[in-house]
Amino acid sequence: MLTAEQNDELTDIAPGTPMGELLRRYWYPVAFTRELEEFPVKHAKLLGEDWAVYKTMSGRYGIVPEACPHRRASMAYGVVESNGIRCPYHGWLFGLDGECLEQPAERDETNFRERVRVKAGKAQELGGLVWAYVGPDTEECPAPELPRFDVFVMDGVRDIGWADLPCNFVQIMENAVDPHHVEFLHGRYFQFMGQQHGFEAPASFAKKHVKVGFDAFEWGIIKRRVVEGATEEDDDWAVGHPLVFPYNMRVGGANIEQMQIRVPIDRTTTRFMLYSVHAPDGIAFPEQPLVPDYEIPVFTEDGRHRTDYVEGQDIMAWVTQGAITDRTVEHLGRSDVGVTMLRRMFKSEMVKVENGEDPLGTIREPHERIDLPCEKNKFDAGPQFALDFIDMASSRFSPQADALKKLHITAWEGRQKV
Amino acid sequence: MTVSLRPDVARGWFPADAASHRRDAPKFCPSCAAPLGLAEGGRGLATEYWLGSDRVFVCYCAACDWSGDIVLTERVLGHEAEE
Repeated sequence: MLTAEQNDELTDIAPGTPMGELLRRYWYPVAFTRELEEFPVKHAKLLGEDWAVYKTMSGRYGIVPEACPHRRASMAYGVVESNGIRCPYHGWLFGLDGECLEQPAERDETNFRERVRVKAGKAQELGGLVWAYVGPDTEECPAPELPRFDVFVMDGVRDIGWADLPCNFVQIMENAVDPHHVEFLHGRYFQFMGQQHGFEAPASFAKKHVKVGFDAFEWGIIKRRVVEGATEEDDDWAVGHPLVFPYNMRVGGANIEQMQIRVPIDRTTTRFMLYSVHAPDGIAFPEQPLVPDYEIPVFTEDGRHRTDYVEGQDIMAWVTQGAITDRTVEHLGRSDVGVTMLRRMFKSEMVKVENGEDPLGTIREPHERIDLPCEKNKFDAGPQFALDFIDMASSRFSPQADALKKLHITAWEGRQKV
Repeated sequence: MTVSLRPDVARGWFPADAASHRRDAPKFCPSCAAPLGLAEGGRGLATEYWLGSDRVFVCYCAACDWSGDIVLTERVLGHEAEE
């Protein structure tokens, strides 16, 4: 339970707010690489602000505020040039760093263009996504490096499901430090849905939690659990998996590695992405010129949440809390200590930014790959987990779902022969 | 953007608990005495959870970086209860 003011502070991502300033210290995916291959400029909304993200013919990426500073026309309809983007209305040209390079209808000798620099962000491509940083970038506070987390750079077959959800991102992140929900939302509730609709829910999710634990570490919070029949020697406790502060959760198991990404589009909209890499040992991976992306269903035709798959159940639980969950009337228990830890982390990192310090997870050094701790043997379920993961989770909606299952089965058969 | 955070009345509300939280949440840091609540001009945080009849406030003070739990108890027990 929080006061209304604290709930407001925790969820308001506007520029100038404590949470808004904290979140502007991180990189976010704003487009699929595929999209800018098909057309070199698109609109993107991020942190409540509208942007135009583009790719030049030389392969460089840029991002500028959508509204042209001249007469406010949309730069998302701009002309992409070799060195920046030109407004479609009167041709003002802005370079990748935001400098106004041309104003075709103005006289050359005036210094007008020097007065209308736009606040350009930085954009880069990584792992089939275009990432943007729109926070401060000055001598005192330069833009951080784009973190090259393991899933975005590892070998394997990639697959990205996504949905835009009508709720604030913090209530989604709180789910990432709430292990107990698994045995009910994905266990008992899944069984109930199976009984009603005639399918068999996976048994591995229903295992009772014996113990949960949370450890702060350099990238966020490691979540640990011991489920019935397992011990502290098992991966779920010994390794766990992390909430990657402030908007990701790294999960995995049975040769599937995944980052669950929750991008704050605006205060009441979150882009939920499931970035998966299928990487079983003992098999050659096919070429992927472009990473497949697909929208996962949120609602059924009658307007109810679609809850016959794992992430659909999560989405139902997040969205039905309300656009911004009212934390003044919640009732947390001892099993919610992970939630209290995350709120405290958000608060302490807001204060660091206010004090002029780098928040958690800021990376300043160029690097090849950041490996995150993540269990391999999920819920003590063995190789069946990979097939359950595809059949009963969002990957079932992937255009390559059958090929992914075949990949895991073929690899497993190959490993048995060795 | 301003979003109205009106109470979620239509789906069941707990005004008494919300009022108790506002009344009982620690107002000052036990370590440095700086205000904790935003309403009091502080920069801290107090998240409440319930443990049996106890009410636990998980507190953080941005002024001195102190963090800890403050527990409102109805009973004092000699041994920790089985959970």
